[in-house]
Amino acid sequence: MLKAKNTLGIVFFPAFDWAISPTHPERQERLLYTQDQLREEGVFDIPGITELKPDLATAADVARTHFCFPDVASVTTTSHMISAGGAMRAARTVLDKEAKKAFALVRPPGHHAMKVVHGARGFCNINIEAVMVEWLRETYGPLRVAIVDTDCHHGDGTQDVYWNDPDTLFISLHQDGRTLYPGTGYPYEMGGPGALGKTVNIPLPPGTSDEGFLFAVREVVLPLLAEFKPDLVINSAGQDNHFSDPITDMAFSAQGYARLTELLGADIAVLEGGYAIQGALPYVNLGLVLSMAGLDYSHVREPNFDPEAIRQPAKVTAYIEEVCRDILALTRNPKPPKGETAHGWFSRRKTLYYDTDAITEYQTESVRLCDHCRGVVKYETESTRNPLCLGVEAPIGACEKCVEEAYRIYEAGQIKGEYRHLQLIDRVGKHYASYTG
Amino acid sequence: MLCGIDVGGTHTDAVLIGPEGIVACAKLRTNHDDLLASVREALSSIVAVAGPRAITRLNLSTTLSTNAIIEGTADPVGMLVSGGPGIDPEAYRLGDHYFVLPGAIDHRGRETAPLDMAAVDAAVAACRAAGLSVHAAVTKFSTRHPEQELALRDRLAGASEFVSLGHSFSGRLGFGRRIATAYCNSAVWRLYNRFCDAVEQSVAELGLSPDIINVLKADGGTMPLGVSRGLPVQSILSGPAASVMGIIAVCDIAEDSVILDIGGTTTDIAVFAAGAPLVENEGIAIAGRPTLVRALRTRSIGVGGDSAITVDREAVRVGPRRLGPPMALGGPAPTLVDALNIQNVIALGDPRASFRGLAAAGEAVGMEPDEVADAAIISAVNHIRSEVAAFVREINDRPVYTIFELLEGRRVAPSRVYVMGGPALALSGLLQDAFSEKVVVPESFAVANAIGAALARPTFSVELFADTAAGRLTIPSLGLSRAVADNYSPAAAEGEAASKLREYLESLGADLTETPVETVELSSFPMVEGQTQVGHNIRVACQVRPGVLAAYKKAVSQSC
Ligand SMILES: [Zn+2]
Ligand SMILES: [Zn+2]
Ligand SMILES: [Zn+2]
Repeated sequence: MLKAKNTLGIVFFPAFDWAISPTHPERQERLLYTQDQLREEGVFDIPGITELKPDLATAADVARTHFCFPDVASVTTTSHMISAGGAMRAARTVLDKEAKKAFALVRPPGHHAMKVVHGARGFCNINIEAVMVEWLRETYGPLRVAIVDTDCHHGDGTQDVYWNDPDTLFISLHQDGRTLYPGTGYPYEMGGPGALGKTVNIPLPPGTSDEGFLFAVREVVLPLLAEFKPDLVINSAGQDNHFSDPITDMAFSAQGYARLTELLGADIAVLEGGYAIQGALPYVNLGLVLSMAGLDYSHVREPNFDPEAIRQPAKVTAYIEEVCRDILALTRNPKPPKGETAHGWFSRRKTLYYDTDAITEYQTESVRLCDHCRGVVKYETESTRNPLCLGVEAPIGACEKCVEEAYRIYEAGQIKGEYRHLQLIDRVGKHYASYTG
Repeated sequence: MLCGIDVGGTHTDAVLIGPEGIVACAKLRTNHDDLLASVREALSSIVAVAGPRAITRLNLSTTLSTNAIIEGTADPVGMLVSGGPGIDPEAYRLGDHYFVLPGAIDHRGRETAPLDMAAVDAAVAACRAAGLSVHAAVTKFSTRHPEQELALRDRLAGASEFVSLGHSFSGRLGFGRRIATAYCNSAVWRLYNRFCDAVEQSVAELGLSPDIINVLKADGGTMPLGVSRGLPVQSILSGPAASVMGIIAVCDIAEDSVILDIGGTTTDIAVFAAGAPLVENEGIAIAGRPTLVRALRTRSIGVGGDSAITVDREAVRVGPRRLGPPMALGGPAPTLVDALNIQNVIALGDPRASFRGLAAAGEAVGMEPDEVADAAIISAVNHIRSEVAAFVREINDRPVYTIFELLEGRRVAPSRVYVMGGPALALSGLLQDAFSEKVVVPESFAVANAIGAALARPTFSVELFADTAAGRLTIPSLGLSRAVADNYSPAAAEGEAASKLREYLESLGADLTETPVETVELSSFPMVEGQTQVGHNIRVACQVRPGVLAAYKKAVSQSC
């Protein structure tokens, strides 16, 4: 009889009564067949594997992580709160040692949601991994966290949330941004001035198969993880690299995903994308579950799978080897980010498009260059949905001066009256405030 | 009048119930070597009081199949299994004649690889060479596509006396469970059918001519003896179910409540939501193997009257071991009953023996016998209370799959604890101190299980699965499969599942007014290919919930 080598908690929440629209790729059917496969395989009967009910994230959990304009309720639905709560439940399971590992099989996904939220980008409204990580840090104290994003799309939202955080290593493997949404995730994007080299992007060419992915994991991801020594490794487990995925052009297989999961050894996995709902998700998810639990996954394969038919061409292999070499060299000698320095602040301007909600946002992100801490971060943002808004954060471990500065900026903003909505995140005093002018 | 017989581990209980109440009852020691003898003896004592004509319906619960499986005395089974991609079917290997055959069906019920018939024939030949006479055929996702299992049965024709097909037990998913269920069913088939033959013969010899003989199932419902001959696995673990049905019969339970059946070795816990027992839909485990046999949701903990007391510097503990009867009855070690005995809560056998045992146990750590007894009783009561709390928490924590269920999910909040079993009355006061809920001991708790057996009504459940894109519908447990039009609706599916279930119940001779059919699951998912909706994936589950015959309930129920 089977028995999990690693105890594993699975939060399975398919939100069977929620969809963006009936034929949208992110719809109920996404997890229907996965559920059937896991049930038929008897995954939840395996001793050591437990099915868990999600928690429900609160507005406060979101407001700790994001600046949502005008407020949390306007940019989320209950499904988002359950999805984030599902990730939180998974994390709680691991931190409370109820299980060695946990997998949140929830929807909708979250890795395109950035620090500032005006609406939905790439089917994401709030960043469920980030809400989870910040809840963990609030509840269990400071943690060095590595997030490895294996979704086919660049995890631009997670990158943005952790851009200035040196205690979070964010690594994204994805299909090259020149060929896929959201069009970002280049090796030169390496983090803000205080967190340089803690953002690592590995763009892979279309047609990359098991070989290429596993090469990048072995050659780049594992050495970086070993150097960073995280307390916790999180996998943003998107499954749209599958050779049959309808919205991407990669050639990854269920076996490859299971092997990658084994190599990565993540403590917590959170489902992101994956839209080949019949031919891929049931098998990829099963492979992931078995791999995380330390069980044999060698019989998991797609019906009629032919590895030869999807094997990456030699020139793709050569290209990946070169890209990986360049990225490793770059992490040893990172390039400073693009932006301007003035009066002890570093600023960068961003124009963001919310494809799901058709919103355009213009944003200036500024971080105080402080010798004692990560520095206050300030976001001035307006969009086609909201007039000019302000978000100010005194991050975890902010020095006294920076905390004071955060309150000064927040209060001055209220007096000046040029912002419609103002929000303050004070992670030091655990104080979260908002004001509408 | 209705006769109920419960062949339990220690006692065989029998009752005869008429419109005015209990007419006759009997309690005798179970003869483990000859369960039929126990049935015959129980029947004769009822007949002796009421005469052979009195019994119009006979309901029977027996541990025969359970014992055969647990003790490994059942027949060897030729297992033909086809898995396809996923967990290696070797992980579910059972017995010495287990053949994994190439062939695959996917989650939508599409055959993605045909059965390898040459391999099938080789397996059948190997079974024949091994002299096997019973078989089971199980394929992955057979509830969505039974044809491969049917093909395996055809191939076994002439080489087997009985073949269990995985999809015939339940429409629920669970490949490993299906394997274990089909295996156990075939393993006990011969033994069980011999028992049925003997029961029918004894009934005839005693001059009885009941309209129907039923067998109790683990979900607290009944099935006709004739039907049970092909589904003997459904008769396993019906003992705790009989007790629970008994409580329903003798008490008017309307609210959320907990049932505690405190026996010799274990305490069984069951939970009621709004007066109805909770059913473990996934199925119960037999000999450590999860199956698809539906059962009442119960939990068994190792605390009972005969549980041994151990004392060390940290604590006084009760159970989980049973080393023999209480010392008051000549046992080797002090038990919970001995503790109750010296505290004058009960009066059993030789109280000096109880005292000696507790004195010896306490001596090493300097505790007086009455201190040990007090600590043991409190420890047992607290253990039961914390297990009840954990069980209720677990029920309320069960996963849900829709936002509606997550937000609206009704929580079970028991307000009463019904206690039955040997030490029930003795412990009720202490339990009342430990529980904030009201503790109730029903009057006729001693034969409640036989009453439960007598009054239980038939249960059955069907799962319907329709895929309008593929144009197919199956109701596996009724062996039904047909084409559907692309405009087949969830409402039509619900109607069809319910009416097929009613038809089946009628064919068993059930009174439909006593067996209300309810829908427990109804979902429909749009299936999309590209940007186009191509059909619906519809799932319906209907059931007859376990319950007791209302007409007779009045006669046996009492205020409690
Ligand atoms: Zn990625
Ligand atoms: Zn993606
Ligand atoms: Zn500072």
